[in-house]
Amino acid sequence: MRRLADLPEDTPARIRALKTPPLLRRRLLALGVRPGAEVRVVRRAPLGDPMEIAVGDTLIAIRHAEAAGVELEE
Amino acid sequence: MSCPDCKSAAARRDLVKSARMVTIGNPNTGKTTLINALAGSDLKVGNWPGTTVERLEATLRLPGKELLLVDLPGTYSLSPTTPEEALAARELLANPPDVVVNVVDAGNLERNLHLTLELAELGLPVVLAMNLMDEAAAKGYTLDPAALEKELGVPVIPLVASRGAGIEKLLGSLDQARVPALQVRYPGALESAVRELASRLEHPARRWIALALLAGEEVPLELDPAVQEFARSRRAELERAGIDPYLEIENARYTRAHELAQRVLVGSEPRLTLTDRVDRWVLHPLLGGPIFLLGMLLAFRFTFLFSTPWVDFIGGLQEVLAGWIRALPLPPLAVSFLADGLIGGVGTVISFAPVLFFLYLALAFLETSGFLARAAFIADRMMLLAGLPGRAFIPLILGFGCNVPAVYATRVLTGRLDRLRVAMAVPFMSCSARLPVFVLLAAVFFPEQASLVVFGLYLLGMMVGLLTAWLIGRAAGAAPSSGLMELPPYRLPAARVVLKQAWARTRSFLTGAGGFITLAVVVIWALLNLPPGTDMTHSYYVLLSSALKPLFAPLGVDDWRLLGALIPGFVAKEVVAGTLALSYLGAEPSAALGLLQGLGQIIAGFWSSVLATLGAVPALFGLPQLVPPAADEPTALQLALASAITPAAALAYMVYVLLYTPCVATLAAIRHEFGRGWALIAVVYELIVAWLLAWGAYRLALIWLGA
Repeated sequence: MRRLADLPEDTPARIRALKTPPLLRRRLLALGVRPGAEVRVVRRAPLGDPMEIAVGDTLIAIRHAEAAGVELEE
Repeated sequence: MSCPDCKSAAARRDLVKSARMVTIGNPNTGKTTLINALAGSDLKVGNWPGTTVERLEATLRLPGKELLLVDLPGTYSLSPTTPEEALAARELLANPPDVVVNVVDAGNLERNLHLTLELAELGLPVVLAMNLMDEAAAKGYTLDPAALEKELGVPVIPLVASRGAGIEKLLGSLDQARVPALQVRYPGALESAVRELASRLEHPARRWIALALLAGEEVPLELDPAVQEFARSRRAELERAGIDPYLEIENARYTRAHELAQRVLVGSEPRLTLTDRVDRWVLHPLLGGPIFLLGMLLAFRFTFLFSTPWVDFIGGLQEVLAGWIRALPLPPLAVSFLADGLIGGVGTVISFAPVLFFLYLALAFLETSGFLARAAFIADRMMLLAGLPGRAFIPLILGFGCNVPAVYATRVLTGRLDRLRVAMAVPFMSCSARLPVFVLLAAVFFPEQASLVVFGLYLLGMMVGLLTAWLIGRAAGAAPSSGLMELPPYRLPAARVVLKQAWARTRSFLTGAGGFITLAVVVIWALLNLPPGTDMTHSYYVLLSSALKPLFAPLGVDDWRLLGALIPGFVAKEVVAGTLALSYLGAEPSAALGLLQGLGQIIAGFWSSVLATLGAVPALFGLPQLVPPAADEPTALQLALASAITPAAALAYMVYVLLYTPCVATLAAIRHEFGRGWALIAVVYELIVAWLLAWGAYRLALIWLGA
């Protein structure tokens, strides 16, 4: 199972499902992080966590633990 | 006389006089800049009733009508995830406006149009303000606003609000506001459930309400229980059929928003934006950390360097006023009450105004420029240790300057619990007022390791603060705070709005916390000066100080003068050192002032404050002075202190001063933001923590230094 948390930088992937707690899922959806959307990891923070992702025209900071629930298509 | 507006006046007649208009949009769409351009100098900044959420409001006087403009908090969607967002949905449902100006980011249409589609379901008349056209062009996007106008059936006005471009056109289009013709169609079973449920509702927003109910949302309206029961059963049915209504609804809206955005976006040649280029440095794996620290230092120094001359000026003003009062033919107790109690109290309140004003300027700049989100991104991993989001770093670091602005700076956080956790941690950050006490005692008792001792105290305060935040999080049983946030594009804030916001927030402190602080100063004055006719050694102050002795005996501190200094320290920590001097060495006589002499002092003080503010500009970029300057010769006070207590007790005293009760201004800020209960808890909790840790420090020091 590919997860957003493990996605290397600058490798576009498509989101398959959000297996996250309800509130986090709502927040992700509000920012446009949704099944079917294309996602790319822009960079990781200097201390390794969180990471910056790009979904559409939006840049988003997300923690490793939070990105672990975002499943990607193979 | 020709009248260019008469022709359109007829068309505008359908808008009643003094119609209500709201602006709504995603965060970071330049909404505030647009309001600034619309409202001009008429802009009013206040709070939403019963909240600390800021509310911008203005009256627009247009030819032939007046429009009351209210800005709704920025929100990604009408299914709220924060109290601010909940406010937007509630306001739209409870108070339907005559016109909705939906501000969208032209460079991020898909996500922004998601909200537009929700507004269509609310059945409200909309004008679409397509802002940030310049940024979209810089991204390499070619857009066709007319295509969107055709799809939605509402006016779509391209704008560059920061330059005022398109504002006239937007104002002219307000009376063509329409309910968007476009409605999202939901997949089969869901759509029929929506229709069936909507037909049972009376409200103009029935389609949106039906969707919200099926998604399992809280709807901020009084609804018929039968309808709610019906919604629950349909929702259960859908779920049994393997449909997740919330996800399906969001998906359908996004799919439609995507199609719309594709139709508007007629050309795209991706280019590197300013944000991409700046982030390459600001978020650099190696340089990111140092740049972050430098930025924080700059914000910190801006706040305190620019405000200090004005704090001093207010102090000087107080002295002059007190001097004048001493020249009046009044009984000594009345003079003392007016000069020290009342003017002292009001002066303390006002002296915080410059600090808060410059802090709010710095915060607004950090927030709107996009730098705050980057700082939070860099600091997030560190703050996660205490279970806090990265943004918590900002109030905590400001706490080293002054705890009062730091408590207000917790507003950069979303969610009351996170705000509260940080606000309770802030008083443990050693503010600059505590430093004189540490320097004084460290120089007397630990002359060789003075810097190390002071540094150790700062570190201890920080650790206790973070532990406190962590503990409250655990006790509240809340899920760990989220690190999820948008990293908005870099932008320059609108100066006028920022200045107005800073002033409104400062004023809110003066009115909201001022009375409480003045009262506390007067109470301390009464302790020092009553019963009447006695000198200090027979005052209630000494009685109370002596009564504290048994409580502090386990800490090795049993001199009433040291204990007594803690009491006025409750008003402001900077007076602890001064009170020590007063009780060990006696008072310096304070002189009466003539009218002209006083005026001369005020003018000279004002001028030197102006000069000092200007002089602070180069100092902003200078290196900070980390090591306190060492005293050459032991002063009379230091000699007196050296014979009063042991080094171990001195260490305990310093730890106690570091941690004991927030000063009254900080308490007033906590009370202002979180209510009386939490201010009380802060006092009790910190008095206990301070005593326990001071006791621990004393016992350890006894072992380490010998008795």
